[in-house]
Amino acid sequence: MQVSIKWLKDYIDIEETPEQLADLLTMAGVPVENVVRADEGLEKVVTGRLAEVVPHPDSDHLQVCTVDVGEKEPLTIVTGAPNVKQGQVVPVALVGAHLPNGQKISKGKLRGVASMGMLCSADELKMELANLPEEQKTGIYILPDDTPVGQPAAKALGLDDCILEFELTANRGDCFSVFGIVREISVLTGRKPHWPEIGAKEDDAAKAEDMVKIAIDAPDLCSRFSARVLKNVKIGPSPEWMQKRLEGAGIRAINNVVDVTNFVMVELGQPMHAYDYDEVVGHSLTARRANQGENVHTLDDSSRLAKGGELVIADAEKPAGLAGVMGGLETEITEKTTTVVLEAASFNGPSIRRTSRALGLHSEASGRFERGVDVTGTVRALDRAAQLLADMGACSVTKGVVDVYPVKKEPAAVEFTAEEVNGRLGTAVAGEKMKSILESLGFDIEEKGAGAYRAIVPSWRNDVSCMEDISEEIARIYGFDHIPSTTPQGEIMEARQSARQAFSDKIRRVLASLGMDEARSFAFTHPSMFDKLNVPEDSPLRRAIPIMNPLTDEYPLVRTTLLTNLFENATRNFSRKNEDVRLFELAPVFLPKALPVTEQPDEVLKLAGILSGRREPVGLGQDSAALDFYDAKGIVEELFSALSISRYTVEAGEHFALHPGKTAIFKKGKEVLAVVGEVHPAVQEAFGVTKKMYIFEMDVATLLAHAEKNFTSQPLPRYPGISRDLALIVSEETAAADVERVIKKNAGPYFKNVALFDLYTGKQIGEGKKSLAFALHFQSGERTLTDEEIDAACKKIVESVGKEFGAELRM
Amino acid sequence: MEEKIAQLKQEAADIIRRHTDTLPELNDVRVKLFGKKGEFTSLLRGLKELAQEERPRIGQIVNEARGQLEALLEEKKEELKARDMAEKLAGEKLDVTLPGRHKWQGHLHPLTLTLDRIKAIFMDMGFTVEEGPEIERDYFNFEALNLPKDHPARDMQDSFYITEEILMRTQTSPVQARTMQAHEPNTPIRMIAPGRVYRRDDYDATHSPMFTQVEGLVIGEGIRFSDLKGTLELFLHRIFNDNIGVRFRPSFFPFTEPSAEVDISCVMCHGKGCRVCKGTGWLEILGAGMVHPHVLEMSGYDPKKVSGFAFGLGVERIAMLSYGIDDLRLFYDNDLRFLRQFE
Repeated sequence: MQVSIKWLKDYIDIEETPEQLADLLTMAGVPVENVVRADEGLEKVVTGRLAEVVPHPDSDHLQVCTVDVGEKEPLTIVTGAPNVKQGQVVPVALVGAHLPNGQKISKGKLRGVASMGMLCSADELKMELANLPEEQKTGIYILPDDTPVGQPAAKALGLDDCILEFELTANRGDCFSVFGIVREISVLTGRKPHWPEIGAKEDDAAKAEDMVKIAIDAPDLCSRFSARVLKNVKIGPSPEWMQKRLEGAGIRAINNVVDVTNFVMVELGQPMHAYDYDEVVGHSLTARRANQGENVHTLDDSSRLAKGGELVIADAEKPAGLAGVMGGLETEITEKTTTVVLEAASFNGPSIRRTSRALGLHSEASGRFERGVDVTGTVRALDRAAQLLADMGACSVTKGVVDVYPVKKEPAAVEFTAEEVNGRLGTAVAGEKMKSILESLGFDIEEKGAGAYRAIVPSWRNDVSCMEDISEEIARIYGFDHIPSTTPQGEIMEARQSARQAFSDKIRRVLASLGMDEARSFAFTHPSMFDKLNVPEDSPLRRAIPIMNPLTDEYPLVRTTLLTNLFENATRNFSRKNEDVRLFELAPVFLPKALPVTEQPDEVLKLAGILSGRREPVGLGQDSAALDFYDAKGIVEELFSALSISRYTVEAGEHFALHPGKTAIFKKGKEVLAVVGEVHPAVQEAFGVTKKMYIFEMDVATLLAHAEKNFTSQPLPRYPGISRDLALIVSEETAAADVERVIKKNAGPYFKNVALFDLYTGKQIGEGKKSLAFALHFQSGERTLTDEEIDAACKKIVESVGKEFGAELRM
Repeated sequence: MEEKIAQLKQEAADIIRRHTDTLPELNDVRVKLFGKKGEFTSLLRGLKELAQEERPRIGQIVNEARGQLEALLEEKKEELKARDMAEKLAGEKLDVTLPGRHKWQGHLHPLTLTLDRIKAIFMDMGFTVEEGPEIERDYFNFEALNLPKDHPARDMQDSFYITEEILMRTQTSPVQARTMQAHEPNTPIRMIAPGRVYRRDDYDATHSPMFTQVEGLVIGEGIRFSDLKGTLELFLHRIFNDNIGVRFRPSFFPFTEPSAEVDISCVMCHGKGCRVCKGTGWLEILGAGMVHPHVLEMSGYDPKKVSGFAFGLGVERIAMLSYGIDDLRLFYDNDLRFLRQFE
C-alpha cells in the first residue's frame, strides 16, 4: 500500500519529516519500504514572472526573457520555447538545479547571450502528463497568473507531497487504510486524530430494500453483504483533490463513482464495488459459489471459466463479478449509468486468495480481503461513499441500507496478566502502562484483579487472539529497543553434531588438503543430462522426481546424481580457460520410492569429484604432465586413509560414464565403497570436452559405516625390522593387486607391509610381460629377525606367486 | 743443537704461516716435520747421540718446539678449512627469488566456510546441529508452523511442489517441528539446523531458486524475548565484529509471536547510508521471534509450561557481507577463479 503524507494530514497533525515518520512506523511494525518525494529534483526550481520577452538578436527561434524570481536582480534566460509571453508565471530552474530527468542547469551562453537558468516544461519536471490539458503537455508549463513569484515551484505545482510506500506484513490488514495508518501514528505520537464526520443524507424517497434484493448463499465465504442504492447518478470526473489523493495511492482516476469506491477503500480499508443497477438482471445480487464451467465476463473483457467453488456475486441470471477480485463487464459503471448499487461486503480471505491466485488477478481489493477486513465496517463505508457522491452533487441517496449479516461477529476477548507478558518479553512494564498502550490501540480493558486484565479486541484487529499477541502489541509500542538483552538461563546443554555431519566436514577438509576445490550446485537437472552421461535406459538414475511447477524448462527434475553437475561445472570452467579442474561436491541426491511420488524420497548423501589438467601447478621445476587415472585413484586412497577406511579391495569394473578399461571399483566385501575412472570418450564428447577427465563417486553413509571409529596408537617396535625388495616378472594381464594379495597371504608371521614401487615393461624382460617391484617389510615384536628367516619367507613368496601367476624373480 | 732446533722451528713456522695455502700443502708440511722421515723425527732420533746429561734439556726444547708447531699447524688448518668452506658456499649461491615448488591447494566453498563459522559460534553456546529432509511434507514446511493452506503469508515463499502434499522445503523451519517431535515433550532444546532451501525465485544477483539457511530454536522454561535479543546480538557481534550495530524491528511470521526482523548497521558504509543499504544505514540480516503457542502445541509442547525463540538466517547473505561479494550467482557458478580466493 502507498499513501501520500497530505492524505494522512487530512486526519492528523504531522510534525515529523516524512523520513522520521517512516522510521517511527517501521520501528513499530508498520514497515515503510520507501519514501518517495514528489519534489525530488525540484529544490532549485522557483516560480518566476516573465517581465520581458524579446527575440534573440542572432537567432530566429530563440527568445531572451527577463525573469523576475523575487530577487533584487531579474535573471536573463534564453529559451527556445515558442509559447512564452510577457507577464506569464512559469517554473524556472535556477543555476545549480538538478532536475528529475537528470538535467543539470549551469550558466550558459546561447549565441552570445548569457543565460542564467532554464524555463521548464511539464515533462522536465516529471509531472504526470496524462492528467494535464493538451496545451500544457508541450512547451513551457504556464502557471496561473496570480501565482506568487519566487516560491518553490513544487508548491505551486502541487508537487510538495511525499508518498510513503508500505510493505505491510500479512497480519496487519487493519493498516491497509489511511485510517489504520493514522491510528498507528496517533498511538506513536500521542496526537489525537481529527476524523471526518461520516453520514449519508438520504434525500431520495425510494427505499433501497424495495429496489434491490441481496442474498448470501455461501455464508462460509461471505459473512456480510451490505448495499446502498444511489439514484439520479451523473457520471463525470471526480474532483481534483480526490484524483490527487488517489494518484498518491497509486490508483488511476476513472470516474466519480469508481473513484469514490476506491477512495473509500483506501480511506477506510473496506473494498467496495459499484454496479449499474439497470444492468443487474432481476435487480438481485447473491453471493454464491460458482458452478463448474460457469462463465464470468470480467471488467477487463475476458471470459473466465469457473473451476467451480469460487465466490461470485451473481444477478438473477449469471455471475456479475468475481467477489472481491474483479467486477463483471455487463454491470460496469458507464457514462450511461443513472442508478448505482454500491456493495460493501466481507468475504472469506482464503477463498479470495485461491481465486485471485488461480486467475493471476491481484487487486487492491483482493489484497485487503486476503488479509482480512473489519466486518463491522461495511455500512460505514456505504455511508461514506454515498456522502462523498452526494456532496459532489452526483446522486441522490435512497433510504436505508440492505444489510445481510447472518451471524453477527462478537468481539474477541483476551485475558492476560502483566506478569505473563513481562515473563515472555523479559521486561518490567507496569500493568497500567500496558493498559494505556492497549487502550490507545483501541482495545477496551477490564481489570480483573491486581495486574490481571481482560482485553476486548477492536473489530479491526483480526490478528489478536491470545496473550502472546497482546505481548507483541506491548512490545512494539513500548519499543523493541527498550527490551533488555539477556542470555537464556537453564541447564547446560551438550553441543554436538551428528556423526554424519562431523564425517562430512572431515571429508571436505581432507579433500581440500588434497588439492580439491569444493563446488556447490543446484539440486535440479534436465532429462537430456542422462543421455549425455550415457545413463542406461533402465537405470534408476533416470527415475528423477519431476517438479510440478519448475521455474524454467532448463530444470524440470530433481537430481539423482552429482555427476551431471560436476561435468557442467568442469565444462563451464574449461570454457573460461580454467584448465586445471579439481572439483568435488558433497550433497544429497533424491531417489523416489515410487513414481509418481507418493511419499518423501530417499535423500542419499553422495560425494563426487572430477579432475582434469596438470598434475601440479604451473611453475619452474613442477610436473606439468597431464594428471591421469592414478592421480584420481590416489586421491581416493588418501581420502580413505585419512578416514580410517582400510582393508578394502580394488578391482577393474564398469560404470556407464567411464572408460571400460580404466575403471576401478573399491570394495569392502561385496559393498562398493567408491568408483573411480577415466571419463568415457563418448561422455566427454557429449559434454563437448576435448581433454581427458577423471571422476570418482561414493556414498557417504557407506564410507561412514566402514570408517574405523576407535583409534588407538601402536607402540614403536623395539627390535629392528628387515626390508627386502622383490621384482617379479608376470604377464601383462596380471593385476598388481592380485599379486599383492598372494604376497600378503604367503609372507609369513613377521610380514608388516608391502608397497609396489616400480613397474617396468620392455625388451629386457620379454614381450607381453611386466616387472612389478615390491618393497616388503618384516618385523617382530619379540626379537631381532635373522636374514635366514626372511630369506625363507621371500622364497615362499616367490614360490607361491610362481605357482599362482607363473611369476619369475627378476634377477 | 739448540740453534739447529731454533732455526728449524723458525723456518717451519714461517712456512706454515706464510707459504702454505691449501690443506694438502699443510699436510705435506706436517709430514715433512713430523712424519717417519720428518725433520723433527730425525731430530728426536739424534737425541740418542747427545751426552746423557744433555738429553733431558734438549729433549724438552725439542718437545716444546714440536708442541708449538703442532698448535700452529692446527690453527692454520682451521683457518684454511674456514676459508675453503667460505669459498665453497660462495660458489653455491642460489637465486632465492626463483619460485618454490607447489602442490595444488584445495579450497572449501565460501558457503561451507561461512556455515562452519556459524556452527562454531552456536556450538560454543551449547547448540546442537540438526538436519531435516530437503524434500519435505507440506505439513512440516507450513502447517506445523501455523501456516495453514491459503494463509496469505505463504505468498512470501513461492514453492516448488512435487505433489500437492510434498514440496522442496522453502525454509529450514520444518526442522523446528521435527526436532520438537523427536524430543520428549517439554524437554529443553537448543539447536541450529543448517541446510539448502528452495524457492521459486528468479535467478539474479540477490535471488536464487536454491539457497542456504540456518534455523535456530531454543526452548525451555522461562525463555524470553530478551534472551532472543541477547543471543542474536552475541552471534552477530561474533560473526561480524563487536562494533556492529544491531537493531530489532517488529515484524510478522506466522510461527512466532512477537516476531522481529533483525538489522545490522551497514558493513559497507558503517551506517552512513550507501548503495548496499539503500541509504538506510541498516541491512536486514535475519528473522526471529518467540515461538508461537500453536507451533509448540502442534509438536506436543505445552506453551503454558515452556516458551522459546526461533530464528532463521540466510547464509549467502552473511557470506556476501563478510566477503564483499555483490552477486549471489557466484556461489553456484563454481568458477575456480572465484572458489580459489577463499582460504
